[in-house]
Amino acid sequence: MEPEVVSSEMVLPAALPFKRVQMSDKYPKGQSRGRHWKHLKQIVQAENYSSLPAHEPNYLNIESPPSMYPSKKYCDITGFEAPYTDPRTSLRYANPGVFKRIRGLPDDQIQRYLTLRNAAIVLR
Amino acid sequence: MPPPSTMARPSRQPDYVRFSPTTPIVIDNGGSIFRIGWAGESDPRVSFRNVVQRPRHKASGETVTIVGDNDPALMKYFDCTRTSHRSPFDANVVYQFENMEYILDYGFERLGATSQVDHPILMTECIRNPLNSRSKMAELLFETYGVPSIAFGVDAVFSYKLNQQLGRCNEEGLAVCSGFSTSHVIPIVKGEPVAEACCRTNIGGFHVTDYLKQLLSLKYPHHISNITWEKSEELKMEHCYVALDFASELQLFQKGNEIAKEKTRCWQLPWVPPTQAEIPSEEELARRAALKEKQGQRLRDMAAARKSLRITELENELNSLEDLLQQIDEVEEPEVLSVLSGTKYFSRQELESAILRVTQSLRKAKGEPLEPEEKTDVPLSEKYPLVSVPDDILSPEQLKEKKRQIFLKTTSEGRLLAKRKRIEEEAMRERQNQLEEEKRLENPELYLEQLHIKYRELCEKIESRKRFKTNGNQNVSGGVGRGERLSAAQKERMRLLTSAAFDRGKGEDTFGARDEDWQLYKLMSKDNDDDDNGQEEDEAELARLTCRLQDIDPNFIPKPDLVQLQATTAEFPKFRPQTAEDFQIVLDVERFRCPEVLFQPNMIGIDQAGLDEMTGISLRRLSFDDSMKDEITKSIFVTGGNALLPGLLPRLEAGIRQIRPYLSPLKVVRAYDPILDAWRGAAVYANSPLFSSQTLSIQDYFEKGEDLLRQYNIKYTI
Repeated sequence: MEPEVVSSEMVLPAALPFKRVQMSDKYPKGQSRGRHWKHLKQIVQAENYSSLPAHEPNYLNIESPPSMYPSKKYCDITGFEAPYTDPRTSLRYANPGVFKRIRGLPDDQIQRYLTLRNAAIVLR
Repeated sequence: MPPPSTMARPSRQPDYVRFSPTTPIVIDNGGSIFRIGWAGESDPRVSFRNVVQRPRHKASGETVTIVGDNDPALMKYFDCTRTSHRSPFDANVVYQFENMEYILDYGFERLGATSQVDHPILMTECIRNPLNSRSKMAELLFETYGVPSIAFGVDAVFSYKLNQQLGRCNEEGLAVCSGFSTSHVIPIVKGEPVAEACCRTNIGGFHVTDYLKQLLSLKYPHHISNITWEKSEELKMEHCYVALDFASELQLFQKGNEIAKEKTRCWQLPWVPPTQAEIPSEEELARRAALKEKQGQRLRDMAAARKSLRITELENELNSLEDLLQQIDEVEEPEVLSVLSGTKYFSRQELESAILRVTQSLRKAKGEPLEPEEKTDVPLSEKYPLVSVPDDILSPEQLKEKKRQIFLKTTSEGRLLAKRKRIEEEAMRERQNQLEEEKRLENPELYLEQLHIKYRELCEKIESRKRFKTNGNQNVSGGVGRGERLSAAQKERMRLLTSAAFDRGKGEDTFGARDEDWQLYKLMSKDNDDDDNGQEEDEAELARLTCRLQDIDPNFIPKPDLVQLQATTAEFPKFRPQTAEDFQIVLDVERFRCPEVLFQPNMIGIDQAGLDEMTGISLRRLSFDDSMKDEITKSIFVTGGNALLPGLLPRLEAGIRQIRPYLSPLKVVRAYDPILDAWRGAAVYANSPLFSSQTLSIQDYFEKGEDLLRQYNIKYTI
């Protein structure tokens, strides 16, 4: 290791004296580890909240419901309020100037704009 | 909070051994920052970004672990191409405990732990943390580090309790905590959080920064490499604010008046103007011209030398050939073959034709005019003597020669024919031109009129054909693009296909009985460009007419779209030199558009209530009467990193006022320090002598296991 890297102490030592089980013992080198963790979705599923009484608060049911108010539509490009939607790209736009720009946009940019508000078509 | 990228690397604390084993270690395990310190102290000892990176060390090739942010200058020793920052969090729940272990390792190591972590630990978690996550964390702390006892608490509540002690909020209140990945509203009654009434929306500072980053990189695709996560975070902290009234603020910017201009911020990227190419001086120009001239002269000399060389070569060849001819003339007929045996010629005729060829190329090389190539006075039978001789009286060699002669004869005949045709055509055109000229001279106006009519007709014909093929779009390729309708030609083809399939299915099949039936396939075929030749002819005629009209009619302007259709298909932006403005990143609407996602999560496609509505939901979930709710709204406490956004409190207050009944009491306060108060509150809490009553010991853990953690519920008032 380079001296400045060592002196900055940025690299975590492989073995630490205060640990009972070292990292290298827990995850031996060369062995395929596979995936030993669950995503939050899987964690929540495994908790089996539906079997618990409904009035008891848990991670899932404290989540806030959708807004009661109708969602406003904003222009995807400029952020202004958007009265129009382009039927071809389904992007929202505020005025004809923006419309012109939308029509000139490449496909990947259109998809990225749609992804921003979680409206892109995901092909699987 | 200082921007993470400039945060100094925490130094290792030297005084770990000074603390007695009863002093708890307090950890605020936040979504973005990990803080660790001692109970009873005013500030955490160590804090760093809660991320792990496992790059490969370039020199040694081994994989190393780096926790938190680093000096970018040192990262050049590591190969980070295949790794990125990894967080142990999914939303606000720890799920990757391998990463968590690296982070804890680093935290304890920086705190100065030497032989053992023999201190009680108080760690923050999210409210109603899934049991799986909590038990894994306990397992990690107990079994890997041998911690004697641990306690878990909610950060927002610790923050609230601290500010309650500071006198900023009451015993009953509402903690609004907008953190890195989630926002919570937690009602607090009698000093304890009411879990069944709390409310979470999965939106936080991460989403604000990410939205800003995405918007800017879409707005400035050329500067995408400059718009990093760290920079966006910095921009957010420096420039973003929450609009009191989002709609009116938008209108302000839409009108683009002075106030909007004042509110616009600009980030100038590093840019050095390109050095102007200086105008060359007079001498320089002269020097260059001389150089060019010299080079040209050299080339000319070379060409001349090559030419003279060729001329001498040809002359030599001609001389030798003439000598040979003389030799043949001198000797008797039977010995001719023996004389010619050393050369590549077999007969006198061949020799003569070779001489002729060489003379011609010599003339050409010398630049003299060529003689007419074909001597018409030589009869064909003489030139190609073998052609008319029957095959069976010829030797194999002569047969070969005969084949050659036949080939030569046919080609020369073909050439002659073509020439004759060309001459005829020219004569015809001449005649036509003359006729037209006569017509023009006869009646110029009428002639011009006719010409114009003809021109217009042709134009229309070509245009309509084009429209038929491309459906009037500028799509010259003829393909059907996204959302475009089929062109008329394609439609016709579709109609034919469907009707053919439909008709064939029923009744007696008489297809093919008539010859015309088979024409259908020709029409159906995909490249049904049957009249392409006609089109070409039309276009040539059109070009001729245009030329003629331009010649005789001074007012005539050719239709531009037809003449230069190819040239104008794409409009290219004019090249212009780059200026400093091209390297500016302008923040106008983005300044308040990005933080607005906290109030309207719908903007980024998260279908949940925003911060202001959440308080209403939380109050609705409370099973208390209205007087209690009024009491609670008197102390609405805002904490978490997003509380630092300017304008968030007034906006929240305005939002809540809309939900609450008219004239009900309302007071919104901000935490003394929205970032650090959670840790500080926890440190104060852990310092109380009764803290040990709220912890879980390692013995209990091994005895009861997960059940213990399920029942565990910390009391905040002790």
